[in-house]
Amino acid sequence: MDNESKGAVAAVKGFFKAVGGFFSSFGTAFAKGDIFVKLSLIWLGAGYVRRKQYAKAIIMTVFEVAVILFSVFFAADYVPKFGTLGTVKAERVFNMATMKSEFNDYDHSFMILLFSLFSFVVWFVAIIVWIKNTINVYNLQVMEENGKHINTFKEDLRSYLEEKFHITLLTLPVLGIVIFTVIPILLLIFVAFTNYDQQHTPPTELFTWVGFTNFITLFGGGGLTATFGYSFIRVLGWTLVWAFFSTLTTYIGGILLSLLLNNKKTRMPKIWRLMFVMTIAVPQFVSLLLVRNFFADSGIVNTICANIGLTGFLRNIGMISTNYIPFLSAPGWAHVMIIIINIWVGVPYQMLIATGVLMNIPEDQLESAKMDGAKPFQIFVKITMPYMLFITGPALVTDFVKNINNFNVIYLLTQDVYTTTNQALANSQAKEVDLLVTWLFRLTQDYYNYKMASVIGIVVFVICSVFTLVAFNFMIGGDKEGTYQ
Amino acid sequence: MKTKKMKDSRTSTIIMHNVLIGVLAVIWLIPIVWLLCTSFSAYTGINTSTFFPEKWGITNYINLFHPDSVAQFPQWFLNTFIVACINCVISTMFVLMVAYATSIMRFPMRKPLMNMAVILNLFPGMLSMIAVYFVLKTFNLTNSYAGLILVYSASSGLGYLIAKGFFDTVPVALCEAARIDGCSEARIFFQMVIPMSRPIVVYVIINSFLAPWMDFVYAKMILNAGVSSKYTVAIGLYKMLDKSLINQYFTQFCAGGVLVSIPISILFMIMQKFYVEGITGGAVKG
Repeated sequence: MDNESKGAVAAVKGFFKAVGGFFSSFGTAFAKGDIFVKLSLIWLGAGYVRRKQYAKAIIMTVFEVAVILFSVFFAADYVPKFGTLGTVKAERVFNMATMKSEFNDYDHSFMILLFSLFSFVVWFVAIIVWIKNTINVYNLQVMEENGKHINTFKEDLRSYLEEKFHITLLTLPVLGIVIFTVIPILLLIFVAFTNYDQQHTPPTELFTWVGFTNFITLFGGGGLTATFGYSFIRVLGWTLVWAFFSTLTTYIGGILLSLLLNNKKTRMPKIWRLMFVMTIAVPQFVSLLLVRNFFADSGIVNTICANIGLTGFLRNIGMISTNYIPFLSAPGWAHVMIIIINIWVGVPYQMLIATGVLMNIPEDQLESAKMDGAKPFQIFVKITMPYMLFITGPALVTDFVKNINNFNVIYLLTQDVYTTTNQALANSQAKEVDLLVTWLFRLTQDYYNYKMASVIGIVVFVICSVFTLVAFNFMIGGDKEGTYQ
Repeated sequence: MKTKKMKDSRTSTIIMHNVLIGVLAVIWLIPIVWLLCTSFSAYTGINTSTFFPEKWGITNYINLFHPDSVAQFPQWFLNTFIVACINCVISTMFVLMVAYATSIMRFPMRKPLMNMAVILNLFPGMLSMIAVYFVLKTFNLTNSYAGLILVYSASSGLGYLIAKGFFDTVPVALCEAARIDGCSEARIFFQMVIPMSRPIVVYVIINSFLAPWMDFVYAKMILNAGVSSKYTVAIGLYKMLDKSLINQYFTQFCAGGVLVSIPISILFMIMQKFYVEGITGGAVKG
């Protein structure tokens, strides 16, 4: 699966090459096409009519009319206001005719942004279709000149179950991805350059473009009162520390546990394995919320610790100043506990994966190492680990990125439990234990600060993609594909 | 004499080895055991003094099926079930379709599309969900089945990689032979590759069925301001632990957690085998 990701760099090149090819065939079509090809630049169906493909001609004409109607009656309402995102504020005005107080014809900034973006996407698709249509029509002309058979409409339809079956398969999924992933991401990138927040929430208020102001705020600018820069550094630091330790601990732990379970000395390995897997089969919102109450300030672990005198001992040596152990409610304690609890959650997963990989370690390598007198530890460091790293290296990178975005563990463990005492963090609605994503989530859900959330989202993306690209390039550099085959 | 001593030390290491695993297993199972015990407690609040409840009873399970204004477990279960079923159908279709097209078929846009998917997967899923939330709100689809289903299934095509890894193992020669015999791509897909790939189809079906059960964050977003009867199990149980409610509902939360975990665990156990194959697939074949 990960070979796909490795090619990301090469892909960008290939993509541009494909685009270049696309435009050059459009140029050829335009230059060498007959009058009907040129006519179909204006009326998309023209070329098809000439080649007697009437059904296609009708479809293309309907498409063209639809795009024009869309542009005139829908896009025209929004796109012209894209530059300002609206100027007319919502107000109640008294209507003399109906004798009622009604809203004026106000601008809704968010609708303007959303529907303008939607129009851009539609037009982009329309242009692609327009170019592709010209190329198709020209191809038909060439085919006719060479006396080749031109498909009837029925044959065209059939081809969508045969050599063009991929189009049938991919249309709906790709459409879903474009509407529910691509457009939203573009939308949020735009929002990052506006002042869309609680004071500027449509429909009652307007928001507008502010350039790079939000980015400057996040990276430390923005005057004396703004604490976003400070919070950002703190949260980013903890995010990276968390991602590093959570990935490392669960990875190593998973390998060790799987070695332990798959050892010949283990009796009934299947039952043991089942026990560990059970813990991850329980949904995270149940297990994590439970653990959170397990370690609560007045929870059961604290009662036990108080009973055995651990709380008193820790207070005596000055590690805590409260009469309970603040497992999840004080900085430092919470950070460590979160990583430990994550070991509990993550190790069985990694154990499953490691088991699958370890079972495929070439037996002969292990055997010959043993014959040469290698100790178990040597075998682990020299054979098992390199093999594991070779197979799961790409997955390790993916895991790191997933942990940067590991919302569940942090949110379910600390939301409503952890309150920050750091005023600077509190001013920007962050906490010491927040990851960038949980901070982003709180900013949108509780404080409606969409502009900053979008900026943080973009930063998260940049961090993840830079890390992935660097890591994969590094791995391609040390590619030893043949070593284990 | 010597051999006997060696054997003794071996038995003792075996015992030590298994005791070590046993200790680890106990540590890992403590919270689960606590969940089970607490769900059978006769009291309602958090049990903070003893590990095992002082009085046992099944009132929590009975209360779960007598909904009040806060806890409407049967309704939540039904909501999640409906969303899960519809999502299961749509997601499974999308995932298998994309996986087949990218794995078995060859067409010019194949590589660029796959790389686009890699890049899109690098964006935090939540980021696009925030925008999706705006859009759904604009169309008044928040706090509804439709909104949830769209959120779970619309972009599910992006999760095609594990299924693609499996389809990649279908011998090329087999598909070639079918094509030469005049078999259309559609028939190869439906009558050859899908029946051959039963394990991965099962995996994808279970996986997409489980998504709404396991998910917390998207449901929290979409059901933000909703009423209790619209919740999924995850959100409903989460709300039970609200500061003002926790002392009244904690043991019921545990009972609900147990009930929802049983079917999920069973499905998860079936699925985990394929999960491992999928993650390590491709790389291990050689």
